[in-house]
Amino acid sequence: MRRLILLRLGMSLVSLVLAAAFVFFLIQLSPVDPVVLALGEGAEPQRLDAMRRELGLDQPYVVQFLSWFAGILRGDFGTSFFTHRAVLETLLERLPVTISLLVGGGAIAIVVGLAAGFAAGLRPGGWMDRVVTSAVSLALAVPGFWFALMLGLLFAVELRLLPVAGYVAFEDGPLLWLQSLVLPCVALALHGMAVIGRHTRGVVIDVLGSPFIEAIRARGTPPGRIVRRYVLKNAMVPVLPVIGVQLAIIIATSSVMEKVFVLPGLGTLMVASVISSDFPTLQGAIVVIAAMVILINLLVDLGLGLLDPRVRPQ
Amino acid sequence: MSEAGTETVAAEAGAAPEKVTPGRLVLRHMLGHRATTAALAGIVLMILVAIFAPLLAPYDPNYANVLHRHQGPSWVHLLGADGIGRDTLSRIIYGTRTAVWTSFESVALALVVGVPIGLLVGFLGGWWDRLAMRVTDIFQSIPSLIFAFALIAVLGRGTNQTALAVAIVFAVILMRIARALALREREFLYVDAARVAGMPTWHILFREILPNTVGPIIVEAAIMLGSAIMIITMLSFLGLGLDATVVDWGSMLDEARNYQATHPYLALPPGLAIIFAVLMFNFAGDGLRDALAGKQSARRAPRRRKKPGSAAGAVAAAELPAPDVIAVRGLKVEFPGGEAGAKPLEILSDVSFSLRRGETLGLVGESGSGKSMSALSLLGLVPTPGEVTSGEILFGGRDLAALPEAELAAIRGREIAMIFQDSIAGFSPVHTIGEQLAEPLRIHKGLGEAEAKARVVELLDLVGVPNARERIDDYPHQFSGGMAQRASIAMALSCGPRVLLADEPTTALDVTIQAQVLDLLGDLQRRFDMSVLLITHDLGVVAETCDRVVVMYAGQIVEEGAVADVLSRPRHPYTYALLTATPREDVRMDRLPTVPGSVPPPWAWPRGCRFMPRCAFARAECGQGPVPFVGGTRCLRAGELQLEVVR
Repeated sequence: MRRLILLRLGMSLVSLVLAAAFVFFLIQLSPVDPVVLALGEGAEPQRLDAMRRELGLDQPYVVQFLSWFAGILRGDFGTSFFTHRAVLETLLERLPVTISLLVGGGAIAIVVGLAAGFAAGLRPGGWMDRVVTSAVSLALAVPGFWFALMLGLLFAVELRLLPVAGYVAFEDGPLLWLQSLVLPCVALALHGMAVIGRHTRGVVIDVLGSPFIEAIRARGTPPGRIVRRYVLKNAMVPVLPVIGVQLAIIIATSSVMEKVFVLPGLGTLMVASVISSDFPTLQGAIVVIAAMVILINLLVDLGLGLLDPRVRPQ
Repeated sequence: MSEAGTETVAAEAGAAPEKVTPGRLVLRHMLGHRATTAALAGIVLMILVAIFAPLLAPYDPNYANVLHRHQGPSWVHLLGADGIGRDTLSRIIYGTRTAVWTSFESVALALVVGVPIGLLVGFLGGWWDRLAMRVTDIFQSIPSLIFAFALIAVLGRGTNQTALAVAIVFAVILMRIARALALREREFLYVDAARVAGMPTWHILFREILPNTVGPIIVEAAIMLGSAIMIITMLSFLGLGLDATVVDWGSMLDEARNYQATHPYLALPPGLAIIFAVLMFNFAGDGLRDALAGKQSARRAPRRRKKPGSAAGAVAAAELPAPDVIAVRGLKVEFPGGEAGAKPLEILSDVSFSLRRGETLGLVGESGSGKSMSALSLLGLVPTPGEVTSGEILFGGRDLAALPEAELAAIRGREIAMIFQDSIAGFSPVHTIGEQLAEPLRIHKGLGEAEAKARVVELLDLVGVPNARERIDDYPHQFSGGMAQRASIAMALSCGPRVLLADEPTTALDVTIQAQVLDLLGDLQRRFDMSVLLITHDLGVVAETCDRVVVMYAGQIVEEGAVADVLSRPRHPYTYALLTATPREDVRMDRLPTVPGSVPPPWAWPRGCRFMPRCAFARAECGQGPVPFVGGTRCLRAGELQLEVVR
């Protein structure tokens, strides 16, 4: 297990460097010249050159990337061309919202998805199975942001149980913080829940059909124990990677929920950065998100190592 | 729901094929894929609406009649008007045009770029493949939507730019899929043949491999069309998407959001339009996938005719003759026969035999004869949706065929144990051997963890697993086939069962290991005074280890008797055919002795003698009706045939 951890940790670092490099060089393809953007169309060439030198933009791209990435490792994400604030400062401001959404939405998606998938898969063809599979098909076709609007309409506008929009920081009131996150998290969880549920259902059916379940039944293990002890653990092996992918998608789609519920997270920050061509901020936000996704993948791999002896390096 | 329903079938119905006539097949196909047909019709409808939008829309979608602001549905505006008085219906219709156009554009581009690259790197392999995979690995850490953000930052905002960004995201996904397909196809013979014939790479890729992989790619593309609509409306909703002049569902929702508190109705039409579009593409993709996989619509299990827990159980017990441990009488197992109302398929017909105390009874037959099903039904383990529909299984004062699951569970592993052909596959791969071996002891004997563990080590020593104390912490994949079979024998014996069902316990093992395992079984049987039902297709094994033998063919018992009699003077032509196909008595077979032809599937069983089509001695009367089991054999000509086996 220690070897597995070290191995995967190393691979994660490589992934982070590759993702950062990819984003950096992709953004360099943009026809927008940030210096022109910062100084205005009519700025004199000398001033443009001076600013380029100052920012190191006259250096070869590889050198620029290395100094940018080295900065990130030191905690320096550069400065926004637009707001002239340190990017890190903005990111740290926005991060709690994104993490709250990830944790809340992810938890709902995992818990409900697994429960629904097991309920359906343990009795394929039963009424629960039919309910779950219908709900999954529908959920996959409903746009998350539309679902969010409808939730807001029902629970905030009509029933007035929860706030329509806005974010309250945890420090300013844990209960208000929770209330501001309920609807976005539920809406965010919709697709992940459906995908996890559908996949779990299929996996449970597969596991129940595998020869070892027949052999275990032949030993006289009671049905409840078979499910708790054998089906659960064996089913989690193929389900865990799907959960990882869904969490990554939840991070990405939280940008839409941030817009619907007016939450100041990384998603709306990225959208604003795209619109204003604020590349240092955009790059920084994408690197942070990539790091979160890589961390999730790492945890998934380690979880698989714990569950399944066959993936542990010998 | 097509996918959901059919998955069940794949898991449940593997063992129960059914009678298929061409007419029925077509009918079932149409019925089973009604959802697919509807989805395809829905897609055609959307395309027509997109093409004829100018004719269908009652208004110019951008014409704002301020007087009609926020009007609800009426004869003037069928779906109402928006915040500046534009006709919602017209905007939905033109939005369809945008959705269809952008999604087809992006998926088509992705197909043109992603598929050839994927096929090529998969086909070439080596460095090209590794490089491409390293690049696509990056997208495991950057979610698609975020990647689309970055692309839009570079490409700029606008309808075509957004479609291009989505196309690039999808191209990467399609490339991975095409690569995996090419890797798989590369191994097939036809690709080698094409290569040997000196065909150029492009020809092999596009004329040979592509046609064989086009199915899964089309399925993926269909589902991608739905995702494209979802992502593009999402981008548009975020304000990153389309040109301001273009009417689309995403920006309609964005506008509706502003009036959420006062005019909530505005969000409804575009939302439902998106749901409809995505649902149609998803159903079409799922249906196509099922059709390609040859899946059929779900079937239901039959009503259980033999009610568990019936009072007959206790009464029957008295009839069990003294030497018998288990007596099976008139056992019938059925599987549902396809669509509702079809006749169920009989997998076992009138199976009767008994297992005596301390004996080894061989159960012989080719695959498909019903041997394993007979053993499984003894434990109440007939795979769903099959059911024991009549007959009795008398054991220890009870009728096992009528016992409820909980009581059966208490008998399994404690009084009747079973071992299987593939013993490694019989263990859960993610639990240690020690944990699993201890389970029957803990459940049936109530032993504590430490006690059970000590006993498991003893048992493993007994069956000859070396280093038992260390090996109990190993996982099944760390065991060899022979050692795993020894371990499963140890587990089967752990609670001191009176009966051991051994389903081809040595078939998967090497010849030398086979002999060791059989010797071990014989030794343990004497020591524990067990009755053993040994299922095998190997008459050599029967000759060496069994006292009596039962021969099965096509779900029926065709001959029964003492081993010495049956093997030297068989009375049924099937037994005779099996025996004459065995080359020499002293050589144990690891393959089934070959009798020309094979066991017909259950839906093709003849009405008369089931062996008749393959029988060298058949006469016309053999086909006229079911043949009764008389005097130890099921053959009309048993009295006249002299089936001496000369070796």
